[in-house]
Amino acid sequence: MRVAFNSQFRDALSGIAEAAKRLVEAQRQVSSGRRVTKPSDDPSAAAGAVAERAQLAATEQYERAANSTAARLNVTDSVLDNILATLTAAQSTALSGQGSTKSATEREAAAQYVEGLRTALLSDFNATFHGTYVFAGVKTTTKPYVESGGVVGAYAGSTTEVGIDISDARSVTVGFNGEAITKGSDAKDVFAVFDDLIVALRAGDDAGITTALAGVARAFDRATTAQTRVGVALKAIETEGQRLRDVKLAVGARLSRLEDADMAQAITEMTRAEAAYQAALGATAKSARASLFDYLG
Amino acid sequence: MSDLFTSLTTASRALATHRMGIDIAGHNIANVNTPGYARRVVDLAARGPGTPAGAGSGVDVMTIRALRDRLLEERLNREAPLEGREAVVASALQVVETALGRPGESIDARLAAFFNSFAGLADDPTSRNLRHEVVLQGEAVAAAFRDMAGRLDRSRQDADREVRGLVDDINNLTTRIASLNQAIARTSAEASLHLRDEQGALVRRLAELVEISVVTRSDGGVDISAGQGRPLVVTANAYAIGVTSTAPSGFAALSINGATVTSELTGGRLGGHLYVRDTTIPAYQARLDEIAYELHQRVNALHTAGYDQSGVDAGDFFAFSTPPSGMSGAAAALIVHSTVAADPTKVAAASIAQPGDNQTARAIASLRDDRVLSGNTATFSDLWGQLVYRVGRDARSAADARDSRAEIVRQVESLRDNVSGVSLDEEAMNLLKFQRAYEANAKFFTIIDETLEMLLSLVR
Repeated sequence: MRVAFNSQFRDALSGIAEAAKRLVEAQRQVSSGRRVTKPSDDPSAAAGAVAERAQLAATEQYERAANSTAARLNVTDSVLDNILATLTAAQSTALSGQGSTKSATEREAAAQYVEGLRTALLSDFNATFHGTYVFAGVKTTTKPYVESGGVVGAYAGSTTEVGIDISDARSVTVGFNGEAITKGSDAKDVFAVFDDLIVALRAGDDAGITTALAGVARAFDRATTAQTRVGVALKAIETEGQRLRDVKLAVGARLSRLEDADMAQAITEMTRAEAAYQAALGATAKSARASLFDYLG
Repeated sequence: MSDLFTSLTTASRALATHRMGIDIAGHNIANVNTPGYARRVVDLAARGPGTPAGAGSGVDVMTIRALRDRLLEERLNREAPLEGREAVVASALQVVETALGRPGESIDARLAAFFNSFAGLADDPTSRNLRHEVVLQGEAVAAAFRDMAGRLDRSRQDADREVRGLVDDINNLTTRIASLNQAIARTSAEASLHLRDEQGALVRRLAELVEISVVTRSDGGVDISAGQGRPLVVTANAYAIGVTSTAPSGFAALSINGATVTSELTGGRLGGHLYVRDTTIPAYQARLDEIAYELHQRVNALHTAGYDQSGVDAGDFFAFSTPPSGMSGAAAALIVHSTVAADPTKVAAASIAQPGDNQTARAIASLRDDRVLSGNTATFSDLWGQLVYRVGRDARSAADARDSRAEIVRQVESLRDNVSGVSLDEEAMNLLKFQRAYEANAKFFTIIDETLEMLLSLVR
């Protein structure tokens, strides 16, 4: 077969170009640590990475939401602790003021103590977190209970509660319907019950005290239920948080498998490509040197 | 029986013939790097004796031929447009690929940040700052769509510019081929060797630009047609490809001899640019427009059903700067509605007229994971992933096709070079051969000369 001068060079050049291309690609992988830096490197891995990144972004948002929600619920939890303590104190005070043996002074002292408890209860139900009311449902900017002329007005909040998504599958309540705790299905809310209790204590009306005590006890039950809901929500945040962390790790691992270079393999490949490149250069430099003209005198 | 003077003539003719051999070798060596050059060989023939029992009257140059393999050259002219086309598509798609942005920093990331900003607002629906954040992220995602649409559009315009430039090149080449046809037809086959070299090189260059079919005429000229038998060169006439800009894109429509051929020219670099301009990128644009349009529709549907921070019925969140026709043009026109952009309190978080409600914000945030697109099978990031996959796959297969086409062309070129290419070793050998022959003939000349001198001295 004839070998033409030009095809010798063309073949050599294409060999060198091919080897150089491989070397550059291997170097890119090693220096960037990434197997896929543009979609055409591996189209399906690139598309897969889009989905994984979307999930990662969502997970991170859920984590942020879970953190702020947990803070809010912890505040709510301690407020409910206070409310329960207040209600318990009211019950024991009422019991201590009950009975025909109690003097008017003792009953007056009890009544005044309950008045103080009522003020504490009012401020607890008007508790805020970052400037929004916790027990006002979705009317987070409206004070749920306002006292004027010694009388606590009707519930000004909303019965619709506020929920927040803490994962793709779970949401928790953060803005509670205050009326569900203070009043429930009763005719009077807890503040009116306290007012009745104060009046009954002053009057030495034992039957009235008993009625009021029953009302306080029901309010206690409702507050306990609310606190249980908060506890369940906090638990859910913890569980979901753990799950989200697992998901994040798994997604990170998948993303890395899709996009990152296997370093050992990439470096081996680079060494091999470098050797091939040098061999191609060397072969061309050697073969291009010889010609019959060199031997003609 | 020939006389001595005839022998002298024979010797001098042989000297000239072998010098011609040396010249041809020199010519071949000189043109070793000339594209399209086919090596020349001298055909020698022995001359018969003038008289019946003569020794013959030496040697003569019969022809000087250029060694060509018609089949291989035709094969090259058929492969060249395929390579040209794939090379163009591959490099254009590389640009499109960079237009997609780096993984994780493109529209998908902007979309995620946008939905997350609504999730953040759901966390604290009365916040003015978070509303501001929502508007900023909305503007960022809209800008990402507009940028991307702009980049795709620029790629199409680049392709169009290339098309116009290539048409000029093609018209230039066909004009030169036509005038070569005229020159070749007027010249003898032997004298037109260099013209044919040039013709071959020009046809080859034309084949890289556009897919052509070539018919060689008996007078050595070539008739060239493209597309569905549209004439480019017939004898000495070249038919220029006409360019007219068409509304509304302003892209070039091509015509030959009055017939529109834009969709017929599929091969060569021209075909590659037309394919990128009219098929590949529009498909990506359609997909991008679909995502932008759906984002506009879905977010607005939820947003208008909600209430803003003041408890007033909210309006649209996204708008189009110019109304798209269908979905087409949606990405390029996507903006945040001017009312919302001017006053972030107009962002709706609530589905009822209460400041603390966050149902609308939550619903918009969960669009991120909802399979609301493509017949409720895909999320926004799925659609984006499909676009990324499609561009990546197209770019990949175009690059692969380019490499394999280039390899085929390289191998056919090697085959052709094996026939037509100059081998320096061979030419060195030829130089040696003709030089020795020249020396021997010079010796013969000297001998005849001496013989003649001896004869003349006898007379004296």
